[in-house]
Amino acid sequence: MSIPIHTYDVVIVGAGLAGSTAARELEKAGKNVAVITKLHPLRSHSGAAQGGINAALSDEDSIELHEFDTVKGSDYLADQDVVELMCKEAPKTIRWAERMGAAFSRNKDGKIAQRPFGGQSSPRACYAKDRTGLTLLQTVYEQALRAGVKFWDEWYAADIIYKDGKVSGVVAFNIRNMEKAIFNAKAVMFATGGYARSFKINSNAHANTGDGLSIVARHGLPLEDMEFVQFHPSGLSGNGVLISEAARGEGGKLINSKGERFMDKYAPNKMELASRDVVSRAIMNEIREGRGVGPRKDAVYIDLTHLGKDLIMERLPELRDLAITFLGLDMIHEPILISATAHYSMGGIPVDIDGHARKNNSEFVEGFYAAGETSCSSVHGANRLGANSVLEALFFGRHVGQSILKDLDSLTLREADESDADTMIKEIETTLTRNGKYTVPELREKLQQSMTDNAGAFRTEELLAKQVKIVKDLRKQFHKGCRIDDKSKIFNTDLQEAIELGHMLDYSLFIVESALARKESRGAHFREDFDTRDDKNFLKHTMAYMDEDGEITLDYMDVTLGKHELKERTY
Amino acid sequence: MDNSITTQTITFKVFRFNQETDYLPYYNTIEMEVTSEEVVLDILNRIKWEHDGSFSYRRSCRHGICGACAIKVNGKGVLACKERMNDMIELFGKELTLEPLSTKRAIKDMIIDKEDFWVKHEEVEPFLISHVDEHPEDEHIVTPQEAEALLDSDLCIQCGLCHYSCPVVEINEDYIGPAAFAKAFRFNADVRDEGVDKRIEVINAPGAGVWDCVKCFECAEVCPKEVNPIEKITKLHNQVFERGDALNNVATRHAVGFAHSIKKHGLLDEGELVRYSEGNIGVIKHVPVALKMFKKGKIVLPWNMPKSDKLDEIQKLVKSSSTVKF
Repeated sequence: MSIPIHTYDVVIVGAGLAGSTAARELEKAGKNVAVITKLHPLRSHSGAAQGGINAALSDEDSIELHEFDTVKGSDYLADQDVVELMCKEAPKTIRWAERMGAAFSRNKDGKIAQRPFGGQSSPRACYAKDRTGLTLLQTVYEQALRAGVKFWDEWYAADIIYKDGKVSGVVAFNIRNMEKAIFNAKAVMFATGGYARSFKINSNAHANTGDGLSIVARHGLPLEDMEFVQFHPSGLSGNGVLISEAARGEGGKLINSKGERFMDKYAPNKMELASRDVVSRAIMNEIREGRGVGPRKDAVYIDLTHLGKDLIMERLPELRDLAITFLGLDMIHEPILISATAHYSMGGIPVDIDGHARKNNSEFVEGFYAAGETSCSSVHGANRLGANSVLEALFFGRHVGQSILKDLDSLTLREADESDADTMIKEIETTLTRNGKYTVPELREKLQQSMTDNAGAFRTEELLAKQVKIVKDLRKQFHKGCRIDDKSKIFNTDLQEAIELGHMLDYSLFIVESALARKESRGAHFREDFDTRDDKNFLKHTMAYMDEDGEITLDYMDVTLGKHELKERTY
Repeated sequence: MDNSITTQTITFKVFRFNQETDYLPYYNTIEMEVTSEEVVLDILNRIKWEHDGSFSYRRSCRHGICGACAIKVNGKGVLACKERMNDMIELFGKELTLEPLSTKRAIKDMIIDKEDFWVKHEEVEPFLISHVDEHPEDEHIVTPQEAEALLDSDLCIQCGLCHYSCPVVEINEDYIGPAAFAKAFRFNADVRDEGVDKRIEVINAPGAGVWDCVKCFECAEVCPKEVNPIEKITKLHNQVFERGDALNNVATRHAVGFAHSIKKHGLLDEGELVRYSEGNIGVIKHVPVALKMFKKGKIVLPWNMPKSDKLDEIQKLVKSSSTVKF
């Protein structure tokens, strides 16, 4: 059976903020662009961002302060040149999104309104009520559509064509009917999202399985800083669905079972608005010391009742709705139940300041780019500040689009061959025909539960070593004997979930191996057995590689330091 | 307030169909223990993960913002991730039927072909039409009142619930539908937009446009985000009148006839409204219904039409708000 080869200048995988923005940039410049997404673009997880997008717009704020807060929030692991670029361009980026149609909330004077967020010296988060990501996603998609971008929606990108240090396309199948195709291009960009879904309690969408990471890693390419997973302080008790930091930004108080506003013990100055990692650990510590609340005693209260109905309805209507739906609690009248939830991936595909994917510490992969949560530039270091992720996706999506445009003339098209699809075809065949006693939901549940138990907000040598073994065993079970029920060609979501689980298992090993080797506590990575930051040995990025036997080797790369000098981080 | 979690046994009848292998759809019956914490999407997941891996449905965000998981429970359109099981059980009892939004568009189980929905979406120029300054130094100034004029139409998540619950979409394939109309309103109401002319042309077209709305309010009822599409459709009616673009047809005359009646009597003259809308010849087909209405006292003979005792005030209001010329 022959496989069609579609040829484009650029192929982008992922249609969220980063992917759609880059596509629009290239299309406007007259390039032939395709965007492949396993969802409809408007279902992308960027749309779930609630609270805001940072830019130093006001006279009281400054670019330097935004940089400083970001670097401090990152626990000094962020590359400062990248931080400087993003913060400098943030005001223009937000105004550009506004010019394209984003429906921001406004001040009385008609300018974009801003609210306080954790870890920031000034009210800096521009917002659209509590649906900032939704308006931005709609806007970039709409303007990409207007520009004429071709979206291949409900297509699953399963592999890249990578040979001789060069990427020349993507191999994909149509989820609707299993039609296969090769997308041959001079440049490929990944904007495939993060990997927090490998944890049981997480805030991420079902689709957020981070496939892009292991697609890359399976070709022997590195993943950077994978141990850094952000646990957001306020996930709804039970299912981890996010209650935006805007709830604390607007004045929410955290209370334990004794009625104490406990943050005064952990961050006496910033209280609830300390950096996310600090607040998350405080909440989890209260719970494990027996001061949790709720039917399972696995949560704490966030109290917003003092804000009053009008303010909640004006600024947090979606959040109120979520707590009513999932907890049956109305935040206007009563406190709601929250706990830490795996939320954001600081690590990812290593890229330079212009989105060029790294082959190793000193070389780059020709024709391959990444942006957004799937990339590690590293603008967030060891911990991302609230309202910086939407900024990252929007700014770097566009910036990397421009970077591809600059490179495009010097990139040549390597003609694709049908055999480039062999790996994908084999993966599909194996998944469809493999027999055994394990099922996808069972293995996925084991992976997620054990990652939460052993590689969560509190880590130790013992737990991580145990988790390395668990992930390796699960990988073996998956490859030896994971079966699926569905053998059909139409919307075979059973097959898709199996392929996604394969990816989750692969990159989870990167997370735990990288975490095991990092014998210090920095940002979101907290080791109870090494509870302080160790700049002497670990002020460096992890670069992890997987070999054909699934063994991980680790290397390290220098951090780009700058004008913001290393300090102890207190809030 | 630490409510304990309760459980009850529920029987689900689940619509099954695979375009590739099935000539006709069929239903699986599955019994499950359902907890008070669960939403409909949890049940879909459990059917797939605990009973049959081939069961298929669209889903992503699981908290009501991506719009992927709209289905029907006992004929009621719901966004699966936002609908509490306890509410469904309270409404329909312990036997629940899960079906796709539109059975005639079913491809596999809960998954339907939404091609028509997206085509209609694109027909209304669903983007801000304005010159985009690619390197702006400042933003547009938009007052909070101007921002609120969108009436939360920007909260539409394109889930398709209103579109596939709309009785006009069901019988008129040209009809653009409530979701796309809400989108057209979203941009027409935006002070930054310059594309109103284009969109009015689309939504004013006979057959496809807003005049074929039958005002059943199903779209407002079913919307999981309270976007209230019919409110936006009514606003689009007004925009068409205000611009003087209204074509003289049954639907527009219905609106105008309504206004005439209020102006004349301060009350609605149902009989005259039909005559005005349909014309002197067209009205003849309604005679049998008119006779029945007359018997029930719903309509009166023209010379018996009463007048409101506040007619003078009503006429002042009508005068100050009317824009139409026919």
